[in-house]
Amino acid sequence: MNTLLIDTHADFIFLAIYQNQEIKYKKESKEKKDHSTICMPLLIELLSESKLNINQIDDIIVVNGPGSFTGVRIGVTIAKIIAYTMNIPIRTITSLELYLNELTKDYQYIALEEKNGFYVGNLINNQIKNYEYIKRNEWEKWNKNKKIFLCQNINYNNICSFAKQKKPINPHLVNPFYVKKIEAEK
Amino acid sequence: MSKDVIILAIESSCDETSMAIVKNGHDILSLTISSQIKTHANFGGVVPEIASRMHTENITFVLEETLKKFKGTIADIDAIAVTYAPGLLGSLLVGIECAKALSLVYNKPLIAVNHTMGHIYANNIENKITYPTLALVVSGGHTDLLILKSENEMQLLGSSIDDSIGEVYDKVARVLGMTYPGGPNIEKAAVKGEDTYKLPKPMQDDSYNFSFSGLKSYIVNLVHNEKQRGNEIRKDDLAKSFQIAAVDEIVRKVTLAIKNTGIKHFVLAGGVSANKYLREELSKVCNQNNVKFHVPNILYCTDNAAMIGCAAYPLYKEKKFADFSLNAKSSENIKLYIEKNK
Repeated sequence: MNTLLIDTHADFIFLAIYQNQEIKYKKESKEKKDHSTICMPLLIELLSESKLNINQIDDIIVVNGPGSFTGVRIGVTIAKIIAYTMNIPIRTITSLELYLNELTKDYQYIALEEKNGFYVGNLINNQIKNYEYIKRNEWEKWNKNKKIFLCQNINYNNICSFAKQKKPINPHLVNPFYVKKIEAEK
Repeated sequence: MSKDVIILAIESSCDETSMAIVKNGHDILSLTISSQIKTHANFGGVVPEIASRMHTENITFVLEETLKKFKGTIADIDAIAVTYAPGLLGSLLVGIECAKALSLVYNKPLIAVNHTMGHIYANNIENKITYPTLALVVSGGHTDLLILKSENEMQLLGSSIDDSIGEVYDKVARVLGMTYPGGPNIEKAAVKGEDTYKLPKPMQDDSYNFSFSGLKSYIVNLVHNEKQRGNEIRKDDLAKSFQIAAVDEIVRKVTLAIKNTGIKHFVLAGGVSANKYLREELSKVCNQNNVKFHVPNILYCTDNAAMIGCAAYPLYKEKKFADFSLNAKSSENIKLYIEKNK
């Protein structure tokens, strides 16, 4: 069973193929170039190094945000088109869920920092509920008296088994999870 | 007889998510257009981030619909074509990444198509372009006058040095309090109006370039000043006078090109070619000069993927394929594009 993971939510790109829920091959790019110029070439490299044809991929996990709007759209578009055309299962996990493995003691919230603020989620029974976005200038007031886990390092090793607990989604309905509203909608 | 070439084409440069399957650069086997115009009308214009989000939501539905209407199978398709420029970056990227993924899964070459070329090649859908021909592209992003020498060779005569004709129509409509999209509303108002406003003539030179920003600023100031004085604006009349001034300028430059080049065919392309007054005036001047006037059906004038499939055909024949590092470009100088593809 070959599971393809696509993560484009941040300023790096991480792609991996899991076999028996363990990372077998991986590719990472930290180049400061547009994701669009890197992501698909990186996928081709990953497939060729793993000596797999795209048709040998059995299912897909895609990180659908929150994070860079354009970055997430690139990963999600590639993932849902592959899943739709090959008719294989696709699952999404959020960028904050990537960090759940690192969670050590009792926290109430999990927070992912970005340029102008923080994506936060409420931790209930080790699950993330109620995502919201807190602007940097409101952060200090917001985080008072809260036990917050700040996301730092991703350990991709357990991501496959974590994602597999979720149900696959119809590729038509796989979409970015932006959390942030856009200016015109406010 | 050579084998048919069937291209699956994708267009997502602005607020339409569209896919088409086109045979031999002119025969539309399947076409789906999902327009977001109603959503954007609520904001008075296209909101780029909303457009990108909607493209991502729509893309597999549009693909499904397009493949459903197609009588053949994936094996019959020879290449995947996609618009890479010009347009809204975030929107273009959804189409581009979709095209790359399709190219990978279906193992078909990828073709990068310039949107403006798509508008021009839309003229092959119901007729066949006769070379050489003069071509005028009028849209929200363009006002370009070109000579198409052959299927693969063209020469730029002139472009707008500032705003495109489509932008100016939308701006004037906004100033007059008309809803988005402005072009068709200006046209409707102009039909009811009289040409009673004296407006400046855009460019009094003999180049093939266009300039509309002076006309635009004049109207913006006029409306502003009249409002301050408490005078009423005769909207229908102003729409009429504006349309005459703008279209006259285009017609004058086209006439100049017809006389100087002696070319006997003219094609009109781009979203603004849906404008009836522009069509009539250009058709008139072509007739007076024994030039054959061509314009695509209105369906193929606005943004659609069928035209992208048409424009991809000559690129396919020349094996001009793109690789997976293909990126979106918000603008592309048509002159450089022509140089690059020589």
